[in-house]
Amino acid sequence: MTATIEVQDLKKVYRGFRRKPVEALRGISLRVGQGTIFGLIGQNGAGKTTLVKILLGLSEPTAGSAQVLGFSPRNPATRLRLGYLPEQIRLPDYFKADDFLRYMGALNGVDSRSLGKRMPALLEKVGLKGNYKPVRAYSKGMLQRLGLAQALINDPEVLLLDEPTDGLDPLGRRDVRDLLIGLRAEGKTIFLNSHLLSEIELVCDQIAIMDKGNLARMATPAEFTRGTGEYVVRVAAASDRVSAAAASVLGEHVYWQQNSFRFAPRDLRQLNSLLDRLRSVPVDIESVEPIRLSLEEFFIEVVAEQAANVANVS
Amino acid sequence: MWPTYLNSLRESMSRRVALVLLGVAILVAVAFNWIVHVRNASGVTMIVIGAQAPSPSAIAVPDVLESELHAAGSLWLLLAVFAAAPLLTATFEKGWLELIFSKGTARWRILTGRFLAGLTLYALIFALATLPVAARLWWRTGVGTWQISLALVVQTFSFAALLSVAALTALSQKGVAIPIIASVAIWVLSPSLAKREETFYQLFSSRAVREIVDWAYRILPKCSELEDLCVFFLHSKIGSWWPVWSTGLFTISILGLTIWLLHRKSF
Repeated sequence: MTATIEVQDLKKVYRGFRRKPVEALRGISLRVGQGTIFGLIGQNGAGKTTLVKILLGLSEPTAGSAQVLGFSPRNPATRLRLGYLPEQIRLPDYFKADDFLRYMGALNGVDSRSLGKRMPALLEKVGLKGNYKPVRAYSKGMLQRLGLAQALINDPEVLLLDEPTDGLDPLGRRDVRDLLIGLRAEGKTIFLNSHLLSEIELVCDQIAIMDKGNLARMATPAEFTRGTGEYVVRVAAASDRVSAAAASVLGEHVYWQQNSFRFAPRDLRQLNSLLDRLRSVPVDIESVEPIRLSLEEFFIEVVAEQAANVANVS
Repeated sequence: MWPTYLNSLRESMSRRVALVLLGVAILVAVAFNWIVHVRNASGVTMIVIGAQAPSPSAIAVPDVLESELHAAGSLWLLLAVFAAAPLLTATFEKGWLELIFSKGTARWRILTGRFLAGLTLYALIFALATLPVAARLWWRTGVGTWQISLALVVQTFSFAALLSVAALTALSQKGVAIPIIASVAIWVLSPSLAKREETFYQLFSSRAVREIVDWAYRILPKCSELEDLCVFFLHSKIGSWWPVWSTGLFTISILGLTIWLLHRKSF
């Protein structure tokens, strides 16, 4: 797959007068394929925003290289093909939605005729159709929607979105998710930086976890949310007989929570024996679900693991 | 550059301080038109200023323009800094700078667009205050008043020097106070440095300090001398071009440095 974003051994050190240097990035390398949604997660101060700023040409790396669409993002011609939504969008009061989009489009080299055609469709796409009041009257959610519209005004090949669903209600979040999925289907590459792990989990093809300037882990959501090997069995009505039947197969005490219990079978044979034994009681089995780690649980696990590694080294 | 220029002009019109300055400029023009009268006495066009005795237009017109220049000159430079410096600092506000500098327009174009909008704002204020009277006097007396246009160019040029300092200091992203203070400091120093024999030399007898003062004079913009130059123009005299080219050199150097630092800056 062609790499749309390619980062090689990227380092960024912030130095200041009479200030200890801060290593924001400590040699990050990653590749983002064309037409994919890439999610970046990490704690505050992990270096996510620094990475995004370098990918936008807003910040110069101390070492290593970052290329977007095969070119340096410091080159304005590269940025003509990018769209960006910052985390904190702050617009001057005097703008109205159409003036703002016109200015953003002009900065990205979009001619006024194309802007005239594109703007109404974009405003409709982000749920701001016909809304031409001054931006000072906008709610946070509306500003976020307008921010998304400006990120799309130049029909970019690559979108970098910093917390795109911040400030949106659940329906708004769903709209954004659908929008992102639609954009991916059009072949656009999306680089998503978010704290909302459930959002990332739902739309991303690849996820990277950053921790203290390092790339701690990178995988697909399926790999992250792998099975734990445990199952939850739910029956219609738990009783002493049902409990004894389960214990006879598992050979241990089973902790029931109302009508369900959680266990880790040795193998599939043991799982099936348990189900056969329960049916013979008889009891109706409502569900048998494998327990998967959520992205949030996995993220916490990775961060804790990294902290433990650091503690061991020191 | 032009989208930023046009947007910055629009932004400046949304700021109260700019609107106040434009309003005051119009009031200055109205006041001058009100106190300056053109009369015809025995076939000779005379100018009457307020309660003063009438004088022939060929002599009085340059004097009126000179008074107007003083009313709309030096102090306006200072006031316009308050209106134009926020245009530069607003570029670097968090949440906005990420939006504009991540677009496909080079940083220098954005800064230059904002800078030119600041100059246009000053030129507009100056023109509103001076051109109506100049145009009326020319129309009524036939005495050429084109020199006021040249004064407008020279004063805008002087303002460019102050604004270049504001642009350089705006890079520190510490708000609008530092750029305004830096520009005002240079404006305040300008007449004292021009007459340093009567000011600094009286305070410092040390040769080394006087040398430093001399170099400060040579390097820094010469706003007060540029205003004097405009007065010379009004009276159809040519003064020394030294304030023009040395201030130009200063402005170009500071703008060049600002653009270079902006290009290298990591946000």
